Amino acid sequence: MIGNYKLEILTVIAILGFIAVFLSVSSGGEHEFSGSDDVGSQKISELTGQPVESYKPLIPQYEPPSGEIECTLFALQCSFGALILGLIFGYWFGQKKSSPVS
Amino acid sequence: MHIMEGFLPWQWCLVWWIIAIPFLVMGIIQLRTMIQKDRDYLPLLGVCGAFIFILSALKLPSVTGSCSHPTGTGLSTMCFGVFITSIIGAIVLLFQSLLLAHGGLSTLGANMCSMAIGGPLAGYAVYRLLKDTNVNIFVTVFLVTAVADLVTYVITSFELAVAYPAQVGGIAASFEAFFAIFAVTQIPLAIVEGIVLALVFKYIVALKPDILLKLNVFSEDQISRAQQQDNTVAHVEG
Repeated sequence: MIGNYKLEILTVIAILGFIAVFLSVSSGGEHEFSGSDDVGSQKISELTGQPVESYKPLIPQYEPPSGEIECTLFALQCSFGALILGLIFGYWFGQKKSSPVS
Repeated sequence: MHIMEGFLPWQWCLVWWIIAIPFLVMGIIQLRTMIQKDRDYLPLLGVCGAFIFILSALKLPSVTGSCSHPTGTGLSTMCFGVFITSIIGAIVLLFQSLLLAHGGLSTLGANMCSMAIGGPLAGYAVYRLLKDTNVNIFVTVFLVTAVADLVTYVITSFELAVAYPAQVGGIAASFEAFFAIFAVTQIPLAIVEGIVLALVFKYIVALKPDILLKLNVFSEDQISRAQQQDNTVAHVEG
């Protein structure tokens, strides 16, 4: 039985390990867990000696008015992917079931 | 791994756009011929694309105390190659730059070069290296995905380093600094992503081995060996 689910078990272990690392990092010391994009931008301003605010967009762009709206849009992107994924895997499962000889 | 809008001088924006465009053109040509030839591939293309959508929306915390997201481009690279992957990656990046202000239109070229082109290219190299060897196909999937993810961030570091060389130490010193921010954060994420996509690949092998054979992702021998190794197929059918 276990032999069949080796990869599933490995995946669960990896995810649990990942969570454990997160918990130990977040409990020890101060971490903001800001995006690495922002950390990178700060590094640029450090290297050039110009404040982050001085970098103006070259092409004007829409910016989500708040973190909440940004969250919604990211969730939307994620759910779109998950929708397609569920649809196709469901279709394949159904196909396999209705034609066992293949 | 997004370079924010305005954070890249326009000369460099132009350079990366010029590098990216041939890949996009090739991608569109390949995609068109593939769709015209056989629509059976579309579901698999959907699955590969869906993973890029899902994984690149997940900002995960990492050991360095900052957050970053996986790319998910490895699966698509193996099944459809670099050019088609670059199209899917470009769609995701365009969405994020237009609606989320993650990356921008001017830096889109640079971001495509790292996530949609450079990462997949490195992943493809690993795939070609391991394809005809005895390495277990799930190990191959793991390595391809993890490398594609990690190299994406190495390239972002490189793009920023050449645009902003440090006053002391030049490009190398500033590459090291960006590498510490982007790539080191990414290592644990790349490993987890590799394992998860290997698991997904197991289900694709179980459900639709014929598509993988048709695309010649792996040989018949390799796929049937993987199926014998774990009999999830039987469970799926039962």
